[in-house]
Amino acid sequence: MDIFLQQMVNGLTIGSLYALVALGYTMVYGVMRLINFAHGDLVAFSAFVGLSVYGSLFSEGTTSLLAVVSVFLLSALVVAFVGVLLERLAYRPLRTAPRLSAVVSALGAGLVIQNSVMLIWGPNMKIFPTDFFPSTLWSVGGIVITFTQVMILSLSSVLMVGLYFFINQTKIGTAIRAVAIDQDAAKLMGINVNRIVMIIFIIGSALGAVAGLFIGAYYRGITFDMGWMYGLNAFVAAIMGGIGNIPGAMLGGLLLGLFNAMITGYISTQWAETFTFVLLIVILVFRPTGILGEKVAEKV
Amino acid sequence: MMNKTGLIALLLLGFAGLYPLFVDSAWLAVGTTFLVFACVAFSQDIILGRAGVFHMGHAMFFGLGAYTTAILNVQFGWAILATWIPSVVIPMACAFALVAPIIHLRGDYLLVATIGFNIIFIQILENDVFGLTGGPNGLFGIDVVHVFGYDFSSQIHMYYMAFILLGITLFIMRSLDRSKFGRAMFYIHKDDIAAQSMGISLRYYKLYAFILGAGIAGAAGSMFSVQYSAVSPEAFNVTQSIMFFTIVLVGGSASLPGVLIGTFVMFVLPEVFREFETARYLVFGVAMILTMILRPRGIWPVKFGNIPSFLKKGAK
Amino acid sequence: MSEYLLEIQNVSKLFSGLVAIDNLSMKVKKGQIYGIIGPNGAGKTTLFNCITGIYTPEIGQILWKGKDIKGISPYKIAGLGILRTFQTIRLFSEMSVAENIMSGRHIKSKQRWYNGIIPTPAYFKDEKYQWTKVGELMEFFNLSLYATTPAGDLSYGIQRRIEMARALAAEPELLILDEPAAGLNENETIELTEMIRKIQAMGVTIMMIEHDMEMVMSLSEYITVINFGAKISEGVPSFVQADPKVVEAYIGSDEEDEDA
Repeated sequence: MDIFLQQMVNGLTIGSLYALVALGYTMVYGVMRLINFAHGDLVAFSAFVGLSVYGSLFSEGTTSLLAVVSVFLLSALVVAFVGVLLERLAYRPLRTAPRLSAVVSALGAGLVIQNSVMLIWGPNMKIFPTDFFPSTLWSVGGIVITFTQVMILSLSSVLMVGLYFFINQTKIGTAIRAVAIDQDAAKLMGINVNRIVMIIFIIGSALGAVAGLFIGAYYRGITFDMGWMYGLNAFVAAIMGGIGNIPGAMLGGLLLGLFNAMITGYISTQWAETFTFVLLIVILVFRPTGILGEKVAEKV
Repeated sequence: MMNKTGLIALLLLGFAGLYPLFVDSAWLAVGTTFLVFACVAFSQDIILGRAGVFHMGHAMFFGLGAYTTAILNVQFGWAILATWIPSVVIPMACAFALVAPIIHLRGDYLLVATIGFNIIFIQILENDVFGLTGGPNGLFGIDVVHVFGYDFSSQIHMYYMAFILLGITLFIMRSLDRSKFGRAMFYIHKDDIAAQSMGISLRYYKLYAFILGAGIAGAAGSMFSVQYSAVSPEAFNVTQSIMFFTIVLVGGSASLPGVLIGTFVMFVLPEVFREFETARYLVFGVAMILTMILRPRGIWPVKFGNIPSFLKKGAK
Repeated sequence: MSEYLLEIQNVSKLFSGLVAIDNLSMKVKKGQIYGIIGPNGAGKTTLFNCITGIYTPEIGQILWKGKDIKGISPYKIAGLGILRTFQTIRLFSEMSVAENIMSGRHIKSKQRWYNGIIPTPAYFKDEKYQWTKVGELMEFFNLSLYATTPAGDLSYGIQRRIEMARALAAEPELLILDEPAAGLNENETIELTEMIRKIQAMGVTIMMIEHDMEMVMSLSEYITVINFGAKISEGVPSFVQADPKVVEAYIGSDEEDEDA
């Protein structure tokens, strides 16, 4: 029972990270029908940006609330800027091209970001400062919860709930949903599609940036190529939930995080990825467009 | 009277045939691997470029062929020649068994499922299931081809074997393009509803593409394992799959010259720029983006209208 | 064996609770030209999609030569001899006209599975035969000039002809035409009318949706009028034309396609 609860906590933590990253995939997909393969590399990039911001403004042992907040804000800003740049340079010219051309462009963009990170920060693993978050931990009924986990769980929940209301309650959110349903009709209604796409990339990249910093704070070690692994898991989460569907990405992320934690806790770490993809394929066999994905009938 | 494309093809054939006479052993090996990769790229193109199925796990079929030959030879002592048929049939059987349940999935869902198969395949190899695969290090000491007491063991032999394999692959591609099977793949790719209304089963032709593609990739894998006399998991991981996927789209899907150019650009050029170790993939990424922006249908896009000449007479 | 080629019996089709087709029945005789008219959004195309297997109606039966074919996948329906064109033209637009028409020969081709890998003498014979058939169809539809032209580059009227040629290439028993005259000019419509008569003369049964009243009334032997998914009238053209319910349906709607 202890293992179970402990793995629940761990799973929800990882799941929140997946969900944050999955939102970036799913929002871009919803509007552009594009798998943004560079998104995972943006997440990794964010961890390194955060490290440098921290290193140049503060030093280990002097961490304060101000330090953490400024690291989050500056990293999110930088990564969102790169995300917008990415869309401008690599995706916008391909909006009318065959769909797979944009996929190749995204793969290329991923290579560019990943290798830029390697050239700037070097190929070796970097370690996140130990006191980025206080090392406090709580022991409740046999399970251990760290301060970092509490931060991850609470901040991701706030961001996800916030995003949900933003999409469903605000004017911009309505515009985003309209563009996702029918770009041409949205254009006719006076919605500036380019602006909506930019907003999507800002939000998606910023959420990814937050996830990247959390990954640094939680796992400590960060490498230039880690984006692929987190990106893939998050992408799988988005697919499980039904890609293009925002609550689906959240659900998929949490589900995958919990599932992973249970597999590694009870069965094996060696086969973790195999279990992940078996779960995905089983879900897709029974629900071809994911758990919350809608059945799309083509108009004839 | 020979047309321009025919002339270029003939020149290329001559060049490829004489290539081993001009290069050192390192470049000879690069040439052999180019031929093998071209076969794999063509087989990927059957699935992706012709049938239009988003498939990003092709390195698995390539690896299945390679490991079939390696395991049968190293663990069970089969002669390489005897492993050829299983190295084609096993990937085909796996393609059928794995893809049939998910062939109805839409584009991107199928794409991530095929990535999944590839990742599971790599984990099976790395975890050394039944002690057959040699784990992360793979298997080595794979034999060469013996026929009537003659050993085909030199790099030049390898090159010409790969050359013949590519020849067979091109022959199959040509047969496919000129049969109802190849055409059906194009029809379902271009408009699946119209294709179905013409009596074409999506499921049958998508599976046909997968099984044929897996068979060719398996043969290429067998050749690959003999060339290097070793196999290891990282040669068949998702990164490799992404490379084959990209080769097809950068070169030009469903275009024979396009896929050859794609293989050259994505595999040989990086070898040429090996000394710029750190920066080359950065440049590479930029090149991928630029190629797609400037040539969204690939460097040498496919040209349709391949019809018998008696029908062209009245055409303008 | 029924005397009718196609019988639609009490068919209803719902889309998330909305009734698109409401308890519709009709009977098509062999060799007939059967017209279906009705205002936009009446459910005419939905009916065609139900017959060709793209949709499965929730209620009712669709009998083809007396056998229920409801719920059978579209490619099998084509194999039975029911071929169609689309209201929104669906050609393989990057491919040449000849290749487009060749897709109709698919089910008639006798090539075996291994012919995708290796040609055989039987393959060569079959391939030659199928292309010859394509040539004949291009001749019939006046398309030979465009044999190598990508279908998407051609004008609307020509594209409609290619679609008909493609469907006819499969040697259908029932040809379903979804607004074949839409977007055609007057001359093209006259040519089309002639062509449909010729196709009927070949022994092909034809069902068509059409808004061009002059054309549909002159061609059809029997007409069903649909509004809001339900049949409001049926009979020979002269009867339908005079039926007050039909007149009302057309005046009551925004339909003014008579001279489109």
